[in-house]
Amino acid sequence: MRKPWIAAVAVAMPLTLAACGGSAPPGTEGTGGGEAGGSGDTITIGSLHPLSGAFAADGQQMDNGAQLAVDAVNEAGGIECLDGAQLELASGDTQGAPEVGQSEAQRLIQEGAVALVGTYNSAVSQNVAAVAERNQVPFVIDVSSADEILQQGYQYTFRLQPSAAVLAQRGAQYLAEVSEQAGDPAQQVAILHEQGPFGTAIAQGFTAEAESQGMTIGPVISYDPASVSDFTTQITAVREAGADVMMVAGYYRDGVLVANAVDTVQPGLDAVWGVANGAFDTPQFPGEVGDAGEGFFDANYRLDMTNEDTQALAELYRETHGDDIRTAAVLSYDAVQVIADALGRACSTDPTELRDAISETELDSLIAQDGPIAFDETGENENAAPILMQVVDGTVQQVFPSEYAETEPVYPASPNS
Amino acid sequence: MTDPTREHGAPPLDRGTVSTEEPPQTTQLTTPAPGGRRRAVAVRVAAVVAIAVVALGLAYWRTGNEVVVTQAVLTGLMIGGVYGLVAMGLTLIFGVLDIVNFAHGAFLAVALYITVEMVGRFGAHPYLALLVSVPLMFLLGAAVQRFILSGAMGKPLENQLLITLGLALLIDNGLLLFYGPNPQSARLPNDTGINVFGAVVTVGRLLAFAVALVLAGLLYLLLQRTRLGTAIRAVAANDSGAQMVGIDTRRIYMATFAIGTACAGAAGVLVAPLVTIEPTTGELFNIVAFVVVVLGGMGNVVGALVGGLLIGLTEQLGALYLPGQSPLLSVFIVFVLVLFLRPQGLFGRAA
Amino acid sequence: MSTAVQSSEEPRALPRPPWGRHLAAVAVLAVLLALLPLVLAPAQQAVAVRVLIFALLALGWNIMSGFGGMFSFGHAAYFGIGAYVSVWLLVERGVSPWIGMLAGMVAAALFAALIGFLALRYRLKGAYFALSTFAFAEMLRLLATNSDLVNRAVGYNVPLRGESSWAFIQFEPGAAEYLWIALALTVAALVVTIVFLRSRLGRFTVAVRDDEDAAAALGIPVMRTKLLTIMLSAAITSVAGTFYVQYYFFVDPDVAFGSSVSIQAILPAVIGGVATIWGPVIGAAILGPLNDLTATLLRDPPPGLEFLQGRAGLDVMVYAVLLILIVLLLPQGVYGAIRERWERR
Repeated sequence: MRKPWIAAVAVAMPLTLAACGGSAPPGTEGTGGGEAGGSGDTITIGSLHPLSGAFAADGQQMDNGAQLAVDAVNEAGGIECLDGAQLELASGDTQGAPEVGQSEAQRLIQEGAVALVGTYNSAVSQNVAAVAERNQVPFVIDVSSADEILQQGYQYTFRLQPSAAVLAQRGAQYLAEVSEQAGDPAQQVAILHEQGPFGTAIAQGFTAEAESQGMTIGPVISYDPASVSDFTTQITAVREAGADVMMVAGYYRDGVLVANAVDTVQPGLDAVWGVANGAFDTPQFPGEVGDAGEGFFDANYRLDMTNEDTQALAELYRETHGDDIRTAAVLSYDAVQVIADALGRACSTDPTELRDAISETELDSLIAQDGPIAFDETGENENAAPILMQVVDGTVQQVFPSEYAETEPVYPASPNS
Repeated sequence: MTDPTREHGAPPLDRGTVSTEEPPQTTQLTTPAPGGRRRAVAVRVAAVVAIAVVALGLAYWRTGNEVVVTQAVLTGLMIGGVYGLVAMGLTLIFGVLDIVNFAHGAFLAVALYITVEMVGRFGAHPYLALLVSVPLMFLLGAAVQRFILSGAMGKPLENQLLITLGLALLIDNGLLLFYGPNPQSARLPNDTGINVFGAVVTVGRLLAFAVALVLAGLLYLLLQRTRLGTAIRAVAANDSGAQMVGIDTRRIYMATFAIGTACAGAAGVLVAPLVTIEPTTGELFNIVAFVVVVLGGMGNVVGALVGGLLIGLTEQLGALYLPGQSPLLSVFIVFVLVLFLRPQGLFGRAA
Repeated sequence: MSTAVQSSEEPRALPRPPWGRHLAAVAVLAVLLALLPLVLAPAQQAVAVRVLIFALLALGWNIMSGFGGMFSFGHAAYFGIGAYVSVWLLVERGVSPWIGMLAGMVAAALFAALIGFLALRYRLKGAYFALSTFAFAEMLRLLATNSDLVNRAVGYNVPLRGESSWAFIQFEPGAAEYLWIALALTVAALVVTIVFLRSRLGRFTVAVRDDEDAAAALGIPVMRTKLLTIMLSAAITSVAGTFYVQYYFFVDPDVAFGSSVSIQAILPAVIGGVATIWGPVIGAAILGPLNDLTATLLRDPPPGLEFLQGRAGLDVMVYAVLLILIVLLLPQGVYGAIRERWERR
């Protein structure tokens, strides 16, 4: 008869227990986030990335990149004007899920993180940006493409990677310039894009710029990156339409499938032209698809391998983690550097002062871009820009614009010739 | 296994899903009575041909290019073969154990990584991994059934669902732990394209397709011509009855689950050269495999193969009809229609 | 139904009615939990709110699939409708989410009636019924992903207001009001469950679940009973969706209609005890923090287990093992097992 009472207690018990076991070190009374971190010895920066689940490959790299930046700052003596305070990275696993990202963000802020970096998945970044804004803790986005994140009027959110609009526009410009230089201007461009917000935004921006450069666009084909398993039909449609260039906006797995299908179908293109493609500029892409990927272009944000500091970082990463560093990890590295730099100028861990300092950032980047990192009033990195890369002899090379070029672009680069 | 072309002339609505009153395992592995089979076959063939003609006509009308349509059909068939291959083991488990096995995709992923190991460590041809993968996965399946799932037999659907989901999580994340998140590959050497009526197909896909056919045939023979197969069919039809005639149903459950998992093992090896191998790759096939199982009729191995082909075609042609929509949408539309109109599956026998 | 062989023996039978005591227990629980914000830090409070959202989802699921015996694997559809209808009204029309919540409930109930009618009209059962509900949730996800009407895959952000507002369910981050509202909604769902079970509809529902033919022979309108149950279930789940968006400030098609939502609706109920009043709440209270606990454990492992630290995937593995063990060892759920023990005394 006393059952229901038992039930009530049974519910209440684990709730409280779990909450107590939750996480935070006792005594951190964290709302503002600011007070907790700054007392001279260590300053905590929160790193939120998908460390498990489908995006774990990039997520783990990015967390490593952030850690390397923290180590670099500490080795150089910490934050000088805060008595050489050391940085500490607190990592959270978002699992690529918005609600997990949110509670992890809350946890990091509660543990005293003065700023957050992250998160790779746009959906998670949107969520964390809202958390950061409401807690008034600066949030520096390393990677997340959705333009909507910064269109909410948030004061505490900044982004390093170029917006989809910039990526798409530059992608089309580079195509016009490179093909013209080669004396074989691109005329009809087919578009193959994933159907999510990222692929759609790239396709729209690219279409607008390419048409203003006098190219015709068509056919435009979208696909579901989560379920697609073969592209031969789509590539056949491109071939039958007689396009001379195919623009591809998508992720890694589908990018590999596109390369295989191009190899099979032989669509007779002058170029396969990725824009912010998740596959064509990764170090493992040429290895996975072999000759099929030879000559593929990709216009994307990119770690600057012509920069000595970047080379040193890549070397360090290889030593530490036995893997090639990806651009995403370099962006995480930069994001932590932005915060460290702002801490050094604000000489304070007060979140509002830190935010103001970040908004006045002018910091050299390890990413190839138009100038130093600097944020406009929406929080966008105004010098962020893509460069053009190409798979040459089985490795990804920077080919355009010339100041970043490791080698000359090969155009036309008919993948099967 | 039931010959899919034979059936009773029972009204389609009075049908063969699990019914509440009777013992749950009332599936189509029973030997059918031969009544009315010619006419039913003729009607069904005519219906299929009519739908095919309309589908192709529509596709041609939407694209205006016969090469694209040919390519869509060819690719659809090839992908469909893979779907059928993945669904075969699943349909067997579904039909005999009455378990909705959400870990099937995860088992497939294990086979993918076995292939990666064989290729990477021993430099073997990817398909040689079949020799390792199939027996290993057979044992794994037997162990999983014996030690984990046997406790869930006869339990409510939601309990079984959660256990297999838990298994899937366990396996996927185990792979992540051991192999890390970086994508791997196991490419076929010299995988070239072959021209078919202006459309192209790679040797790898053709091979996977052919092996799917062979495998379906072997499974069919196993079920029809061996004592084990007969026992499996008996258990599927009526497990308490089977027990009464002296069949050790627990052993049959274990054997069936092991065979089903071994099928996932074979499918994994064949699919390995066609996909990017990540810990979550297997999940890609899970949903489609369930659709195929229902389409083919649960427990029906040949039905699964044909169902796979139909889904492959639906996906490819659907992308031509509804550009800008996910091809999965057309798959689900077909799925729901089949559920409503022929819940025993296109090739199932009405109970 | 889902159990295939249905019987009216203990685990699934109606809890015999100490209704007053159940309601009193709800009241005590509500008071206890309402005090939580006094002792919890914001991150822990976030976990508590997540638990309550889980509970709400599962309470909805339990009505249809537990008491009604119609196994749904597509409750994401109703959760998503609740989320999308309210956020669309809020963002595009400036309507208060409270009104959005009502609209979402109506929309979810109507959609549930439609697919429920189809599935029942074609007499789908067991796994087939479950797969059909799954298919409809997936179709909604795919449609939302490609529909300009609801912003495609981008989804919606809830606009920040800058000040606390009861009318728009927006407060300071970590404010106790969030927990209180989630608590009030969960308590309301619990009370609805209890009232439902006492009502004629509830008794009809259980009768139909236990023996459909007998129920029909007694003159119970089977189809209508089932449809009303499904609609009630959908409406409760849609409330979870509405609150989710207001609390997390964001929704997209995967968050709203993804199959993981459907799984999260089932998990607490099964862990706690299917077709029991308290099962979903108990299950949510166990599962919600479990994820965080395993993650915390592996982040700062106890002495001797340091080698486990930072191995991605391990926390989920631990979670999966616990899940399998609970389901295997307590097939009737935690509450089911406790109750059985009490009754044996």
